Amino acid sequence: MNPLFLELTVVLLGIALLMVEAFFPKLCKKRLAFVGMGGLFFVLLLTWLPMSSVSIESAPFYTIDNVALFFKRFMIVTTILTLLMSLDYIPVIERGIPGERLGAGVGEFFILPIFACASLMWLVSAVSFILLFVSLECMTVVLYISISYLRKDPKSLEAGTKYLILSALTTGFLIYGISWIFGVTGTTSIAHLAESIVLLPASSMTPLLFGTGLILVALCFKIAAFPFQFWLPDVYQGAPTPITAFLSIASKAAGFVLLLRFLEQLYLIPTLGKKVFAITTLLAIVTLLFGNLAAMAQTNMKRLLAYSSIAHTGYILMAVASIGAALAVPAIGFYLVAYLAMTSLAFIVLMIVTETSGGDEIYCFQGLHERSPLLAAAMTVAMISLAGLPFSAGFFGKFFIFQVAFQQGHYGLLAVATLSVVAGIYYYLKVVKAMYWKQPSETCTPITLSKLTTVLISALIAVIIILGIYPTPILMSLQ
Amino acid sequence: MQLTLFWIFSSLMIAFGLGVVTLRSPISCAMCLVSSFICLAAVFITLDAFFIAIVQVLVAAGAVMVLFLFIIMLLNLQAEECRRVKLGVMLGGAVVVLSFMVLLSETLESSPQFSKMMPPITASSQDVSMIGMTLFHSFNLPFQIVGVLLLVATVGVVLLSRRTLR
Repeated sequence: MNPLFLELTVVLLGIALLMVEAFFPKLCKKRLAFVGMGGLFFVLLLTWLPMSSVSIESAPFYTIDNVALFFKRFMIVTTILTLLMSLDYIPVIERGIPGERLGAGVGEFFILPIFACASLMWLVSAVSFILLFVSLECMTVVLYISISYLRKDPKSLEAGTKYLILSALTTGFLIYGISWIFGVTGTTSIAHLAESIVLLPASSMTPLLFGTGLILVALCFKIAAFPFQFWLPDVYQGAPTPITAFLSIASKAAGFVLLLRFLEQLYLIPTLGKKVFAITTLLAIVTLLFGNLAAMAQTNMKRLLAYSSIAHTGYILMAVASIGAALAVPAIGFYLVAYLAMTSLAFIVLMIVTETSGGDEIYCFQGLHERSPLLAAAMTVAMISLAGLPFSAGFFGKFFIFQVAFQQGHYGLLAVATLSVVAGIYYYLKVVKAMYWKQPSETCTPITLSKLTTVLISALIAVIIILGIYPTPILMSLQ
Repeated sequence: MQLTLFWIFSSLMIAFGLGVVTLRSPISCAMCLVSSFICLAAVFITLDAFFIAIVQVLVAAGAVMVLFLFIIMLLNLQAEECRRVKLGVMLGGAVVVLSFMVLLSETLESSPQFSKMMPPITASSQDVSMIGMTLFHSFNLPFQIVGVLLLVATVGVVLLSRRTLR
């Protein structure tokens, strides 16, 4: 099958749902979401069909290798999870937007992530700066809209505006960097970048590094590495929770895929590679330190998860800095899958607790095990996995990354990372302590969960534990 | 001749750009932006890129900016209040901008290929058809993705700007 049909199917699914929403406005919005999820699941199954190569016109832009296929599946699963989360979020959306009747404007909340999914699928296949830029923008536009979706809530609008302005600024850096690299090498291809650089005279190295730096700024914004992470906590806090989860998982993963594709090429040039990898190592160190130290002081759960997301960027950057090791790409892939499972689990519990107790501070979690043992257990598993304790997916995620960093001799980085893990255990277990050992501050009402949510939470717990015992399938699919 | 024109128009462009940031009335900001775009178009003309220059005037300066002005007038926006900018913020901003400029000029000086005189572009009469061929033939896939982007943006505008959603 032509791999471009995958994205085409997703886009057509989105357009069809938009049409249905436009012509049958009274239709139950949950049905739209289920059709969307069903369609995405169908596309997920299609990715296992044998793929043919793309046409000559598209080949300079689009590749279908193991990494692309793996992350296409990753993006589809993330989108399905986001839609599942959004089902429980419908009451908040209805309150947050000015509609003529109940349910007006809710349908698009389920349809927009489908378009984001299509652009992310293009993005992970992009081997040209042009496709990279276009699909990145397409995804970002969806995020601008979704983040400020609850426009009766000033926090959501503030988050949307902040993301819009800062993202537009970094897009400027990206385009400027791309034009410098194009100016020096004469190509917009990422796949053949190294071949063009080899032919250049030594005097071209400074402008090339300048362009690389500008592109790194933009990509570091997407993955929220240290000096470019200021937007993250505010945007996480203001955005609708399912979108926060999508932003934290899909947008980060896409940023790392692009970083990998770009840096892999630079690594082939020894003089350039050394400098660029010194920068990545430094970024990893400061990101780890900042994310973990700032997370320790947080009392709001969404902000805690935001800083923890910065910390996880730091861990994955360790593997990016060790890109020469054979296992670096599988280690990043595995870490992102583990991150997908544990972060979405944490966000689902957070969303339900916020809705039932009216806030997302950590003290709202007090006595959760009396209100709903399943939610408390789920949050505990998520926190243990995020902290990287054994028998959880997060443990192997960190283990593989430490392994590749050790193979590449990044001992200083390893020391910092070990300290970060210790700090992580402190602030993640703070939440567990609140759930089990502290008395609830208000009257504690039991939380009832819908069947679908119960199944989803149990499935995510199972995935985290299974990957914590048997991580091989994920690693194999990336080798 | 070309160099003199470049200096005139680029310094005008920067001056108008400063106006966009510093002026307080939205209408003057928008007018400064239009003028800045027109100066950019003039720079394109001195580089023999006539088609891009015309597109710049028609689309950026014409369509987009007229839309901007309409919105400003429809919303009847008043001049912003003067904000006090903290000294620390200003100093920090100045350091960042200055270091970026130093980096940029170092980069430009480092490589001899930037001071080389390029021959003028010939056969630019085929401009439009060449751009069309490139866009629809060699860059077909990204071009179609832009379509999806526009669709999403349209849906988003309706969602975020309607007073009450139906």
